[in-house]
Amino acid sequence: MSAEQEPTSCSPSLVQAMRAAAAAAPALRRGLVGTIVLAFLGTTGQVVVPIAIQQLVDGQALAGGPADTGGVVAAGGIALAALAMAIVLNRIALRRMVTAAAHGLSELRIAAFRRIHHLSSLQVQAERRGVLVARVTSDVEVITQFLEWGGVGMLVGAAQILMVVMVMAIYDPVLAGLVVVAGTVYGLMLVVFQRILRRGYDRVRVLVGDSLGAMSEAISGLPTIRAYGAEELTAAKVDRALDRQYRAEVRTQSLGAGLFSTAELFAAAVTAGVVAFGVTGPTEITAGQLIAFLFLVTLFIEPVQLLVEVLNEAQTASAGLRRVLEVIESPDELPDAGDAGRDPPAGPLAVTFRDVGFRYPTGADVLTDLTLHLDAGRRYAIVGETGSGKSTIVKLLTRLLDPTRGDILLSGAALRQVPFRTLRRRVGFVPQDGFLWDASLRENVRYGRPEATDDEVDAALGELGLASWIARLPRGIDTAVGERGGRLSAGERQLVALARASLAGPDLLVLDEATSAVDPALEVALRRAIERLTGGRTSVTVAHRLSTAEAADEVLVIDAGRLVQRGPHATLVQTDGVYARLHADWAAGTSR
Amino acid sequence: MGHALPTDTADLRATEVVGAGLRLVGRFIRGAPVPYAVAATGSIAFTAGIVASAAVIGWVTDELIVPVLADGAGIDGRLRVAILLLVGVALWKATGIVIRRSAASWLAFGSQRRLRSRLIRHQLQLSLRWYRTRGIGDLLSVSDVDTRQATFVLHPLPFATGVIALLVGSAVVILITDPLLGLLAMVVLSLAVGIDLRGSWRTFAAMEEAQRRRGHVAEVAHESIDGADTVRALGREDAEVARFTVASRHLRDQLVEVGRVWTGYRAVTEGIPAVGTVLVLVAGTFRVTAGDLTSGELVRVVYLLSLLAVPMRMIGYLMWDLANSVAAWRRVEQVLDADDVVGHGATEARADSPAGVFASGLSFSYGDGAPVLQGLDLSIEPGRTVAIVGPTGAGKSTLALLLARLWDPDEGSVRLDGRDLRELAPGAVASEVAYVSQDTFLFDETVVDNVRMDADITDAEVERALALANASGFVRSLPEGLQTRLGERGVTLSGGQRQRIALARALARSPRLLVLDDATSAVDPSVEAAILRGLRQADVAATVVVVAYRRSSILLADDVVYVEDGRVIAHGSHEQLVADVPGYARLLEAYEDDATRRAAERRRSFEIGRDDGGAPETRS
Repeated sequence: MSAEQEPTSCSPSLVQAMRAAAAAAPALRRGLVGTIVLAFLGTTGQVVVPIAIQQLVDGQALAGGPADTGGVVAAGGIALAALAMAIVLNRIALRRMVTAAAHGLSELRIAAFRRIHHLSSLQVQAERRGVLVARVTSDVEVITQFLEWGGVGMLVGAAQILMVVMVMAIYDPVLAGLVVVAGTVYGLMLVVFQRILRRGYDRVRVLVGDSLGAMSEAISGLPTIRAYGAEELTAAKVDRALDRQYRAEVRTQSLGAGLFSTAELFAAAVTAGVVAFGVTGPTEITAGQLIAFLFLVTLFIEPVQLLVEVLNEAQTASAGLRRVLEVIESPDELPDAGDAGRDPPAGPLAVTFRDVGFRYPTGADVLTDLTLHLDAGRRYAIVGETGSGKSTIVKLLTRLLDPTRGDILLSGAALRQVPFRTLRRRVGFVPQDGFLWDASLRENVRYGRPEATDDEVDAALGELGLASWIARLPRGIDTAVGERGGRLSAGERQLVALARASLAGPDLLVLDEATSAVDPALEVALRRAIERLTGGRTSVTVAHRLSTAEAADEVLVIDAGRLVQRGPHATLVQTDGVYARLHADWAAGTSR
Repeated sequence: MGHALPTDTADLRATEVVGAGLRLVGRFIRGAPVPYAVAATGSIAFTAGIVASAAVIGWVTDELIVPVLADGAGIDGRLRVAILLLVGVALWKATGIVIRRSAASWLAFGSQRRLRSRLIRHQLQLSLRWYRTRGIGDLLSVSDVDTRQATFVLHPLPFATGVIALLVGSAVVILITDPLLGLLAMVVLSLAVGIDLRGSWRTFAAMEEAQRRRGHVAEVAHESIDGADTVRALGREDAEVARFTVASRHLRDQLVEVGRVWTGYRAVTEGIPAVGTVLVLVAGTFRVTAGDLTSGELVRVVYLLSLLAVPMRMIGYLMWDLANSVAAWRRVEQVLDADDVVGHGATEARADSPAGVFASGLSFSYGDGAPVLQGLDLSIEPGRTVAIVGPTGAGKSTLALLLARLWDPDEGSVRLDGRDLRELAPGAVASEVAYVSQDTFLFDETVVDNVRMDADITDAEVERALALANASGFVRSLPEGLQTRLGERGVTLSGGQRQRIALARALARSPRLLVLDDATSAVDPSVEAAILRGLRQADVAATVVVVAYRRSSILLADDVVYVEDGRVIAHGSHEQLVADVPGYARLLEAYEDDATRRAAERRRSFEIGRDDGGAPETRS
């Protein structure tokens, strides 16, 4: 959602959001009843003072004559004992609440994270990565801050209201009834105000995401920014995003302030009403009881004021909660057949595309009417101009995307029906940019098959002829590769990605320009190793250098999303067409 | 993880936390004195209203409630006066609240905005060497979470200011009413404040640890989500979730610990005002029955004390927010204090002629120990196209980075036409040198803005650059052509398309030196040939340095520089090096051999397999 679009106001209510949150993170609800009971009992401490006042004023101060020392001290003692108990119970209730919040939010965070890794490749690119990170970090943090302050206040406040109404009713039911009615009316007003505020906070949340995105760009893109002297440009862009966020925040908060201040007028109205009714009304209320009522009204208003205050916070938190839930509840674009699925037969895999088409939600067709069959155990190369759809074919083959039309079969088994756990084992993928984790080289290779032993990892690297390269690294195979493999060169990262795929031992190997960024000598050795590796299994290589096409059994030429030519290099190069043209350019490039 | 923050969590005492917190608050207030003054005024007006309301209740007790209900007197006009007083005080308080809260958000959000802007601007000046010591996710956490946390204390600050006025005012009022009760009240209040301070000290260290763990969670999330495609392709989702779960639970456990500490203090500090009130009530009752005090005066004192309960909580919250903010500020300050800023001189940039490059004695290591460049010397005539060739790990990419001054050498210098790169004025290197690497970073902007960046480049020049980079075709076919938005919110481009935009970006500013490090890896051979041919033409008057990984790239250059183990072994024409340098010859000929052998095998197998349509036998 861009900042220019207004967020829709048909977002689910706070209650629905809380229910969904409790479903995703059961720890939030665990022991909640007990906590509420304890908090309620803890609020007895709050009403001790009004009751004591009522007792002492009616019984002592206004009774005339000297003080009944014993009575006063006894009253004081009971009050102090009640307070002591309240302090203990309060502590227990608060601690339970904070612990439940910490556990529940951890569950929520993990649930959202888990979902992110089940989003399709499309969703992880379409959404900003920074925004997704925010879902599991800052959005959850905002909810945490709310629960630790506002959430506690809400719980204690609600308990206090209940306790106070009970005591008021004992003193004078009619007056108590009046106070409760006034409070209900006021509460309804608050609900209306809440709805107005929510829209404002949703917008703030979006702008906060924009600011995060702009700052993230400034940090991650620094090398490029530095290289192009675009520091001021970037800083100005960040400033603009921050400024938009700031304006919206102040605007919304000021609106909330106006709202909060109405509680003062409400309190005065109720107090005045209680005094008026108490002195003029037909009730049999005593002076001490009426004075106690004034205290009780304050104790009634405080939590209402707090609830209004907390509602402010709840807007921000629930907007954040809704965004987290959006991630958790996002539909499964690539459903896993699981146990109901069908494994393809053992051995090298054959591939069939039947009328396959793919189109991005933003518009254009990328692939159209793609029908082909690849025999098991053979080497295939896919060539075509950039943007012809080659990378999409790769993503479809490895099921990082599902086709929008048509079917894909692996040795006769529908790709959609193959359980992921089988698919990942049998189809190996080496992407264009090998992604490495901040760990040792050994661990990065082992990522291909986690249960592999150290010997098997060594063997996988040896098969690719990488033993000498490894020996030259500072700590050999235990060298740390740095964040995203930053300590290795681009070429070396490709080597690791290949070794990883080799270790997995798949029946279908899909390589997307894997050997593009390695210098000639190593590239040669590597390609020879890949030949050995692709022996006896099906391989599909997206080629950008036609020398790769020459080495394949058969070449598939893709142009504008369609299969236009197919055959071995030697045949194609003699036929008029796209392939001959591509090859001529390459040959011209290497001529002396 | 190798990026632990060097935050020192020396055992601080409460006074040090408060001191640091107040200094921090003072710093923010100095940056925004007007919002704070307005908010504080609103707050003090509000709390003055609280004291006034207690006086009104006391008056109502003595003049209305006791006479009417206990002594049976008539009401007269006193009810009307009572109502007027109550409503009047409420209006006064309401106005104070609106002013206070609006100005508080002005103060807090404004300070957060200013801090973030300052932080980002500072980071944009820091060297890449410094960046290597931090994780990206961690830095993002500082700019996002820590800035919010550091300024969070400003939200309750104005209210807390008013509360201090309230406490002083209340003490005065109670002392005036009855010195004994006043003394008792002051003892209780001091005790409450004291325990609050101690509580904040204890939470401080726990909060700092929680913040560190939050940064770690952000780092794990960032890395994992960046590699989402690879994670999916390897079926490693569960492993990543497990890794994240560990980090999340680690944070959770610390948050529980923080809760354990602060709830203990919270419960006590909330109970103390009530305990004090009961004691005052008991003592006060004796005073009333002895005739030293009226009921109304006692009610005034007790009502005031009961009204202090909620505002007193603000002190507790403020202490905690102070501790939080100090913890977060330390992390922000670490970045702000980083002085590994890229230095500049004052030498102005030149334009419109190719640059001569002279590197002497370049030595460089990334800081992990192993030197990557060891005394490298290189001289390139203006206008030449030079290919840098060498085995993996020879230092080619590092040399490219130094030529573009993305890193500075440990020893030696890089000169363009005799000027050391470090002496050039800010922006001069960027205007003279264009650098394109294999990792293309495009911004969340339109195509034309991505190509133009900050320079003074016309649309026509942008289009020319796109044409030279062979990108005009696909750009034209985008939904909005040049105005199509790219980046994570816009259109998704393939790797090759991104590289061509990056190349156009480099070419558009007519650089004097163009450094390409495998910048055409994802691009078709035909396209690469066209681009490299175009670069050799006269109207791109630049010196070109290409770190080459393909024979085709090497052959398009005028000269070849062969690098091994961080030194230049040879510099000359391709033929010369083939003849004189065994290492070079080995690299290239092995590659050529392989291609020749393949061609021969192809011809053979074609003849054999002719019957089945030319498909060769499967290689064993």
